[in-house]
Amino acid sequence: MIFTFQFSRLEQKPYTETELVTALKSRDNDAYKHLYLHYRGALYNNILQLLPDREIAADVLQEVFLQIWKQIDKYDETKGRLFTWMLKLTRNMAINQTRVKNFKVHSKNEDISNYVSIIEERNNQHTGINHIGLRQQVHKLRPEYKDVIELSYFQGFKQEEIAEALKLPLGTVKTRLRNAVIELRKEFK
Amino acid sequence: MDIKEYISSGIIELYVMGLCSPEEEKELEALRPQYKELHEAILQYEKDMEEKMLRYATLPDAETDKQILQQLASLNTPVVQMRPVQSTGLKFNWMRSVAAAAVILLGISAYFNYTLYNKTKKQAALISNSTSSPLPAADYTVITNPAITPVALYGVGSHAICRCTMFWDKSTGKAYIMIHHLPRSSSSKDYQLWAEVDGKTVNVGIINDAIRGRFIEVTNVPNQSIAFKVTLEQSGGAAQPTLAETYLEGKI
Repeated sequence: MIFTFQFSRLEQKPYTETELVTALKSRDNDAYKHLYLHYRGALYNNILQLLPDREIAADVLQEVFLQIWKQIDKYDETKGRLFTWMLKLTRNMAINQTRVKNFKVHSKNEDISNYVSIIEERNNQHTGINHIGLRQQVHKLRPEYKDVIELSYFQGFKQEEIAEALKLPLGTVKTRLRNAVIELRKEFK
Repeated sequence: MDIKEYISSGIIELYVMGLCSPEEEKELEALRPQYKELHEAILQYEKDMEEKMLRYATLPDAETDKQILQQLASLNTPVVQMRPVQSTGLKFNWMRSVAAAAVILLGISAYFNYTLYNKTKKQAALISNSTSSPLPAADYTVITNPAITPVALYGVGSHAICRCTMFWDKSTGKAYIMIHHLPRSSSSKDYQLWAEVDGKTVNVGIINDAIRGRFIEVTNVPNQSIAFKVTLEQSGGAAQPTLAETYLEGKI
């Protein structure tokens, strides 16, 4: 009974964001437990969007929380919410993992042209994905928006790299990215 | 600049998603403090995003939960155990464990040195002899040290529920405080430790009460102290204790 009570208290988010960050920075045990229980589902879902293999995704999730513990002092509250920071960290780590994977499977030349050809392949893979989230919404966008978000958000390429790969002026990539995220904001509800 | 147009240009979404170019990021961060509506629009999008992502959650299996929670709990365990390797084990593995332990210890030590440095720097201006930092490793050695004098600090008046234990090493003038129960101080307040010496109340230092479940090291504890108290003072500490705000007291 007592255990259940304590557990549900943890789930109830007993911290304000500032309190939580302070506790995390002082490496408070309870704060990390709370952080994990509160955010694991959201972060795991994001990893699954990039790495559908549950076992690999779980390994990345573990690494993400380890890195949060190690890097929490780098988190700057003036630049954004804790979740935004964690999500960026998660996305970077998942992208790195997909690169490791693709590097093994595909080619020794890790340049973007490979990824563009991989996009189609992956698009097909991901249509059957069970984990509903941002990527599904992205795939509903028109193709020119979908491609720039796919390459930037899900594969981590810079705007210049995308321009080069898609043989588009940088300005066009920028415009498409902006329109794409506005569209996405409307759709992703 | 037309800030409304800028806000609705998609730049906020790109920024929050981490898709800006470095120049765009720099520009936005320069504009942010100047325009309240920009700042609020960023916060709003961040909240929206967080709320949506929390809604589209997929929980990992129970085994993963267990494993990660255990790992997170172990990160806070101060002692790095180096177990003797079985004679059948490879020497290479043993070397790796030692190397890993050394790296972990170095990391922990660097972190605490940094914390101590910052804390010391912040308080040096106000109270010259006060430092407080978490004790990084081997907490149990504090308790097992035969030179240690344990001092139980009990809650006073309406704070009767509060409890801390202090382990005082007279030979080094250091004390290690463990918080069992003490409300978290706000950002504008600090707990301050005082010692009673020759009928006078002397400042010992600020207690960084954000540290829970670990020892907080306090230095320069007067050797002739006969009692201690903890009061809640304005951030940075006070020259004289605010007795009405006494939380804890303990006698040798």
